[in-house]
Order: sequence, then C-alpha cells, then structure tokens
Amino acid sequence: VQHASGTNNAFTSNDLTNYYITLPANNIETALWLESDRMLGPKFTKKGLDVQKKVVIEEFRQRNLNKPYGDVWHLLRNLVYKVHPYRWPTIGLVPEHIEEATLEEVKDFFYHHYAPNNAVLVISGNISHGEALEQTKKWFGDIPCREIAPYSPLPEPVQEEDREITVYRDVPIDTFYIGWHMCSRNERDFYALDLLSDILSNGSSSRFEVKLVKEQKLFTEADAYLTGENEPGLFVATGKPAAGVDIHAAKERMLEEILMTVETSITDYELEKVKNRVEADLLINEIGYLEKAIQLASFEILGDASEINRQGQHYQEITAKNLLEAARNVFRNGNKNTLNYLSINNRTK
Amino acid sequence: MSDFRKTAPLVHSVDKIDFIEPVRRLLPGGTAFFSLYGGNQEVVKLDFSFKAGSWYEHNKLESLMAASMISEGTSGKTASEIANRFDFYGAQLSSVPYYDNNYVSLLALKKHLPNLLPLLAEIIHDASFPVHEFEINRQKRRQRALVDAEKVGLVAQRTFLRTILGEKHPYAPVASPDAYNLVTLEGARDHYKTHYFSHNATLFASGDVDSSVERLVEHYFGTGWGMPGQFRDNQPDAISADEKRIFVERENANQNAVTIGKRVPTQHHPDSAGLKLLATILGGYFGSRLMSNLREEKGLTYGIHASVVSFVRDAIFMVHAEVTAEKTEEAVREIFYEMQRLCDEPVSETELEPLRNFLLGRMLEDFDGPFARSQSFSSLYEAELSVSYFDHIIHTIRYTTPEQIRELARKYLVPETMYTVIAGKK
Repeated sequence: VQHASGTNNAFTSNDLTNYYITLPANNIETALWLESDRMLGPKFTKKGLDVQKKVVIEEFRQRNLNKPYGDVWHLLRNLVYKVHPYRWPTIGLVPEHIEEATLEEVKDFFYHHYAPNNAVLVISGNISHGEALEQTKKWFGDIPCREIAPYSPLPEPVQEEDREITVYRDVPIDTFYIGWHMCSRNERDFYALDLLSDILSNGSSSRFEVKLVKEQKLFTEADAYLTGENEPGLFVATGKPAAGVDIHAAKERMLEEILMTVETSITDYELEKVKNRVEADLLINEIGYLEKAIQLASFEILGDASEINRQGQHYQEITAKNLLEAARNVFRNGNKNTLNYLSINNRTK
Repeated sequence: MSDFRKTAPLVHSVDKIDFIEPVRRLLPGGTAFFSLYGGNQEVVKLDFSFKAGSWYEHNKLESLMAASMISEGTSGKTASEIANRFDFYGAQLSSVPYYDNNYVSLLALKKHLPNLLPLLAEIIHDASFPVHEFEINRQKRRQRALVDAEKVGLVAQRTFLRTILGEKHPYAPVASPDAYNLVTLEGARDHYKTHYFSHNATLFASGDVDSSVERLVEHYFGTGWGMPGQFRDNQPDAISADEKRIFVERENANQNAVTIGKRVPTQHHPDSAGLKLLATILGGYFGSRLMSNLREEKGLTYGIHASVVSFVRDAIFMVHAEVTAEKTEEAVREIFYEMQRLCDEPVSETELEPLRNFLLGRMLEDFDGPFARSQSFSSLYEAELSVSYFDHIIHTIRYTTPEQIRELARKYLVPETMYTVIAGKK
C-alpha cells in the first residue's frame, strides 16, 4: 500500500470490523489485489500471533489500564448488559483473554466471518461505477462463499430495577456515567433520542451547558450522547463536577434536567435549532471520501446503503411529541444504570 | 484459482501535484485574504489566523485564555446569545490557541452566512471578556489539566519540551495545573486587544466560495479594526537543560512513556526537508524502522512514532512511545540502536522507494480538496515560506540519496546528543 502511495488501517466496533485503504485513484487495483488476498486468507503463524498478542496487550494497557478513566466502558457495559454480547468490550474483558487466544480460535473466527458473503465493499472517489464493478469482479469474483457463524444473540431482558455501582480509582476528579437502555439504530426513536441528546448537551447553547455549567456552575463538563450501535444501545449521560461540588448533588441536578424532557415538551425553537445542526453536519460529513465510504459500509451492514440518503429526512420528520414519547420510554423507572467513578484521594479525606 | 494474484498490479507513482497558489488580496483594513473555491457541497469554511500564539504572550496561558474568551460575550451580546445564534444555524465555530498563530474558524452552510458573518465580525472585533465566563473557562481548563497530568504520554512529551526549551520559553508547556490559578483576566484581555486586529490577521475562505461570499467577507472584514501599537514580538533563547536524562515518577503506571529527541533547524534551513524524510524512515509510517523493530518484531509497544515538529521559530525532532514498564530500558536501547544504524549504514533503495511513494501520496492528500489546500497554504504562509518550498519538498522526497540520508543522520541523529524523558514506574 505504501508503495502505491497509500495508507491503510482497520478498526473494530461491537458491530463490525472495517479495513480501509486510501490511495491515488489510478492505484485502485493494488488496493483490491491486497484486500482480496487478505480475504482469501492470511498466513496464520504461531510467531505472528504471539507478537500481535503482545501488541494488543500493549494497546489494552495504553487505552484502558494506564489512562485515567480508561476502564469506564468495561465497567459500564458489564453493569448494563447481562446477556447481550455488547457486555464485552471489543478488546476483551482482561488482558488474559488476549494472552489465551489460540491460533485455532483466531483462524476459526476468520473463516467464519471474513467471507464475501459476509462482507461489504465500498469504493469511493474518482472512479466510474462500471470500472469499480469490473475490478471488483476480477479480484473478488473467485473467492468462494464460506459458512458464516450463526449470529442470534439473546436479546437483553427488559431491565426492571435501577442498578448502581461505585468504584474508587487513582483519578483526580470524581465522575459518573449513567446508561439507559434504548432502541436499535434503525428505529424512529433513535432519531428522536439523538436530537434529544443534542438539545441537552450539543453546543454552547445546549441545556446542560447553559444551566449546569454556566448558570449553576455545578459541572465543568456535562455530556449526553448515544452509543449508536446497530442493536439496542444506550443513552448515556456523564459529567465532571466543578471543584468543591459534591458529585451526588451535581448528578441529581443533571437527572432533574433530563427528567424535565419527560414532563414538558421541547420548544419549537430548540427543535428547529438541533435539526439545523443535523442538516449541516450531514452535509459536512459527505465531504471526505473516506468518511463517506465508512458510512456507506455501516448502513449496508445495517440493512441498506441507500439509507444514507434518507437520514436528513428521518431527523426532519421528528416532532416534539415523538421526543416526549421517546424520552418516556427511555427514562422510565428501573431502566437506569449508574456508575460512580470516584477519586481514591477524595475517599481518604 | 488465485494464480493471477501472484503478480502485483502495476503501481503508478504520483507524477504531478497541483500547487496552484490561491490569489492574495489585501483588504483595505490590512487583512490578507485568500479564497480557495472548490468541492461539491454548499459548505464554506473561514479561517482567521492571528499572530497571537503563546510565542507572543507576556505571561503563560494568556494566549490560550484569550482564545477561549472570543465567543464569550461582546459589549452588545451575552455568551448565551452568541452561542444560540451559531448553534441555531448549525455552524461550527472554533477559537484555537497554538504556539505561533491562533485561529478562529467558522464552518457553515453557505446559505446561512448572511446571518452568521455579522456575528462572527462582532465577536472577533469586540470580545468583552466577562469575568463570570472567564472564571468558568479557567476552571474547565484547570480540571482538564489535572486529568492530563495523569497521562504518562502527555507528561513525558510536555516535560521533554520544557527540558529542551527551558521552563520560561514561550513554546514550553506549563509545569503544573496550578499555572491556571495565575493567569489573569486583564492579561488575557490585553493579549486579545494587542493581537486580534485587522493588520495582524490573515483570512482563508475555502469551499463553495463564490463572489457573493467574497462580497460578504469584504463587507464585514474589509475595513480596519482593533488597535495595533502595543504588539510585541518575543525574542527568547531556548535554554536546554544540562541533564540529558529525566525521569518523572508515576508509581502506579503499568506502561512507561518515553520521549527522546532534540532541537533541530527550522523549515528555512536547507537540511529541514531531508531531516523530515529521515524521521519518516526511522518512525514516520507503519513500515518504519522503529515500528518494525519495537512493535512488529518485539511487541514492546502498540505504536511508536518519530517526527519533526515545526514551529515558526524552532523545530524539534522527537521519538515517542508508550511501552511495557518492565521493558523500558530495552525499548530505549532499541530506539538508540535504530538511530545509530542510520548513522552507520546507508538505507537501501528497496526500502527507500516505497517510502518515497508513500510520502508523495501524503503530499497529494495535503492538496486534495479546498479545505486541505487551505490548510497547506495557511501553514506555508504562517512559516513565511513561499510556494517553491513545496517543490523543494517533492524534490527532496524523490531524489535524496542513501548517502545524503546517512550524512543527515550523522549530523542530527547521534544518540549522545539526544534528551530522554521517561514518565512512569522506576
């Protein structure tokens, strides 16, 4: 890839693994040649696996163990999901999981997931549809279909009682994460809740920023967002209290602010504001061809690549009433999971 | 089945990169205005660049706090009125402090510019620095600094900069979050008043910049504003520490961060482009010497990088990695081993050719689309370089010989001249 003036990388999420290559348009064939070779099958060697295991364990340490708040998602996922595979972070629960992976397991996973009948290929950039299709047939046409590992995870049972855990860590500032179960990526409520999280915390004029950060000076950071996974994901609220503010008092105020959206309708002005933001963001996200390719692949895996063209419409159709209903579904009693992530220094005081 | 895969497809090398320079116009108020039309979305980006970075400040953090106060109120509008207006039109406003120039940028749909530009002009011309907002921003930054102080990677890099430049140097980061208690509202406001004025600004407009957009820009930013006069340029000397090896203890770390490097000549020096090539061979891409050795062969790290960081008035060569704590010494040894190897043995053409192609590809990306072009030219002008610098870079990438690379290594990569900072567990 470097020889062909390009770069390549990959990422994993709870839903998919994505390999991508960016290179000059006239070298597209090199990219397809390499990716088709990778899909045919890498050389699985004991030595290769041993080194990569060490590398990923270092990644685990760098991202999750050696960084303040790095294990938040390990703790939160484990609290929120009891059955669904989303309870596992992609990198594994503990470094030992990586250490103990065998060559057979890795190969087995590869041959039951990395297959033409389980993959989406997106080519974006300066190339015609005809040429892209022809090249794809040439390089991928002869790779046989494989038996795909059945995927039918048990749905997460409806949560009936609020859960809460508290941990103490060597961090300078107390924080909390609250997660509520919500719908999957392709339901209407997803769009409503995405707008709601924007109303609460996106931008300097959002409710959290205006009331909690600036007026009441309870937080230095206050945020609400969706995990946005394909299957039922989470609505998350989190914050770092300002110096001298009790974390539990701050948290209660944030919860009051959130629960107001269950009782009172959002104003037309606020709804229009976040819809304008979405309109601009969608257009801006179409500018880079790598971002566009990644989005197309994600929508196709979700069911239909052309959904990318309907996103704007889905958001525009949301009414204040939809928001209220979606909020009531999510912020209901018993659906809340709280992680109090406290500074060990404050404990000893 | 896969016989035809045994032959690699023909690789085309990058033969031409379009460096067409944007047209420069001098607005009546003294602001240099560049416009770069292109792209197929109705989106426009405006980037104001002010000579107002930490280089120019009297006291630490004044430049940073000044930048953070740009959208926090004017004599006629409160912070929340300003925020509401930008948010209502879905615009992304940012005000970013940096070492040399500070930036104020707006990314928005073209159709909303008539509503947004009056406000953008108002906040840039007339920021009022209310005390309430200043204190909130100071607290926010201080808390963030407290968290950053727990990240060994940042601790090592920042300690490294202080070590080679001296604590007081304007490019040197502050030593402790407590520095945020010292910066004053008056200092930040004074920094804004003496640096954010029309003669001290450069403006890049990129994206769907048609004549209507240009007219709007000229209308709101054409005439002079601000008060030049107290503008001052620092002329500090960098004072490197005597001790070449520094250890910052973080007893609970299970990975140690290692930063190794030194000061090198700026982009105006003839060796600069070659030195960047050399840093890339050592640790600037996935196939680099350090990645191959420390990651792909020994599994000591998730990633290791070498680069030349260019400021306008200085440049720094540095290698950085986070490594298994118990194997820190081995990692440091291997980093020096790879530097020494570049001093001793010439690089082969087999290694150089893909590297040349790789770097030409990155160069191509730097000019792909109006926003990337705008960024590239903005950095070029900030460094007071001319467009021929890009040709010089291309020439260096294409034609530097293995022997020249070895000479550069002997001149700049001698292990004994390096500073080593380790943050983590002893």
